[in-house]
Amino acid sequence: MTTRLLPLGRLGATLAAGAFAIWLAYQLEPGSRALFTLMGLYAIVAIGLSLLMGFAGQISLGQGAFYGLGAYTAGILVVGLDPDERLVNPEAGISPLLALAVAPVLTAAVAAVVGVALLRLRGHYLAFATLALHLILLAVLFAQARFTGGQDPGLAVIKGLDIFGWEVTGILGATPRLTALVWGVVLVTLLLALNLVRSRAGRALQAIATSERTAAAAGINVSAYKLRLFVLSAGLAGLAGGLYVFLLQFLSPDAFPIFLSIQFVVMVAVGGLGSVYGAVFGAVAITWLEDELRELGTRPELLGFELPDQAPQVFSVGVFALILIVVILFFPRGLLPALVAGARRLQRRATAAR
Amino acid sequence: MTKFLQLAVVGISTGSAFALVGIGMVLIFRTTNIVNFAQGAFAVIGGLVMVGLVDDMHGIVAGTLAVLLVALIGALIGVIAVGFRTRTTPLASLIITLGLALLASSLNLLAFGDRPHTYPTIFERAWNIGGVLVQPQFVIVVGVTVLAALLLTLGLQRTIAGQALVACADSRRAAELVGINVRAVAAIAFAVSAALSALGWVLLTPIDPVNYDSDVRIAINGFAAAAFGGLVSIRLALVGGLALGLAEQLIVGYAPGQARQYELAAALVILLVLIGWRSRHEAVE
Repeated sequence: MTTRLLPLGRLGATLAAGAFAIWLAYQLEPGSRALFTLMGLYAIVAIGLSLLMGFAGQISLGQGAFYGLGAYTAGILVVGLDPDERLVNPEAGISPLLALAVAPVLTAAVAAVVGVALLRLRGHYLAFATLALHLILLAVLFAQARFTGGQDPGLAVIKGLDIFGWEVTGILGATPRLTALVWGVVLVTLLLALNLVRSRAGRALQAIATSERTAAAAGINVSAYKLRLFVLSAGLAGLAGGLYVFLLQFLSPDAFPIFLSIQFVVMVAVGGLGSVYGAVFGAVAITWLEDELRELGTRPELLGFELPDQAPQVFSVGVFALILIVVILFFPRGLLPALVAGARRLQRRATAAR
Repeated sequence: MTKFLQLAVVGISTGSAFALVGIGMVLIFRTTNIVNFAQGAFAVIGGLVMVGLVDDMHGIVAGTLAVLLVALIGALIGVIAVGFRTRTTPLASLIITLGLALLASSLNLLAFGDRPHTYPTIFERAWNIGGVLVQPQFVIVVGVTVLAALLLTLGLQRTIAGQALVACADSRRAAELVGINVRAVAAIAFAVSAALSALGWVLLTPIDPVNYDSDVRIAINGFAAAAFGGLVSIRLALVGGLALGLAEQLIVGYAPGQARQYELAAALVILLVLIGWRSRHEAVE
């Protein structure tokens, strides 16, 4: 079937956008480059979550946990499993590239174990269980401080990524290679996700999204497909987390709050449930907005009001909460699809009036 | 033995508060099909408002005001969460209540700051029964929980109004067809369950301080209690809540050294196992 492949025009446009993102990685200032890298990492997570929410009708409030699990898996493997040997032997761990490969595999395996019972149930069970998973991860990170570095001193990952001689180093966007690599991964993920949606599995998923009963009656194994999507979304989050290690070369539980998991849901709500391009848009928009809100919140005063210390947190949590409520209430399929549909309607009206 | 009994007393009281949250979730789920994530926020607001008021007035007045305020907030959240007939699915409602819980926690952070709040208990004496300290509010919270479970079970099964509430969840369209106002039903169900959760933490805050972000922990524990009864059984939610509270206290009390840090993690693992166990009982949607 030719439907497996993307239409050539759309494939070309996607490749061009990807090339532009990679080109941009080399043009930006280090500060904006770090933010741009983070956008790419979040886009990888959001693509997986969007497929899960759009097609399986399930919501995971634990994508931040899978992201964190991927980061800690890669980080600990790079510095070495033995906390004492780490201190004396910089070569105690395995190769960063191998560690990066293990991260998504391990997170996907965890998701498979958790998901196998939960995905036969209605959506709210997975939502709460994945949130519980996130809390468990945070508790373990703190409780096993000797192994994970905990909050203080944290886990410093000195070794940079080395992809067959192509060295990817540079903390916080100091050099463009990591940024380019991340957006390369975004492009590959995007193309794979688009082809998945158009494949035989994708048609099954679309049937499930329309009506689970009908899909089941047509012989589609609904819970098996849901489980695969959940495992895929967790694996993507784990991969992004693994890449994140090399952005900061430092890990602490602070970087993976519960709020992060909810932020991924906001990205998907903005970009559209099940929309692959929308997930990338949502990730970029929300990450940018959060950065702006933090900048706004750290000012000493705003519009004549003195801002309290918690202002950055209050701003971002409050604003994202409002976005989530308004979008899901009025545009349950997502903000971007609603805007696109609205623009089309206006255009049609304009054409008709002429 | 004394240690065990003391842990059991505290465990049953905190477990009752979890059960109150869980019973609230069951009430909302049975009447509106919504799983309410903001249930933890009700408890937190109740506790925080109580702490704010208790210095200026009698404890009972402060508690009543806190519970009434939260009931009002609950009604408002219910009306928003139920959304629109044609486009708000139960999963969308869950996400909306998640957003509302976030909004509440950011407002709580703004109003109360980032530190755990508590107040000295208003009761002057506690009973000492064979070395086991029993605070009056322990007894009150257990009593309220059992009474609430009883009244709600009877109310939903035996009264016309209760049947009307349950009918809404079966089919929204059919309920509206016979003249039931689904939005009003949601407002009532949310108000009652908000009041119950708030009452639990108004009473429990002296032994379990609340912070602006305690709502996630409370909501998960409450959900676990409710999930024990498949989100539909008030009786099993009560049992689930008590079991969860007991298990947590016993882990804290008896786990050796480092394992104590896993109180929350252990409770959550219990939750995951419970949900997994439920999954064999509930039919696939």
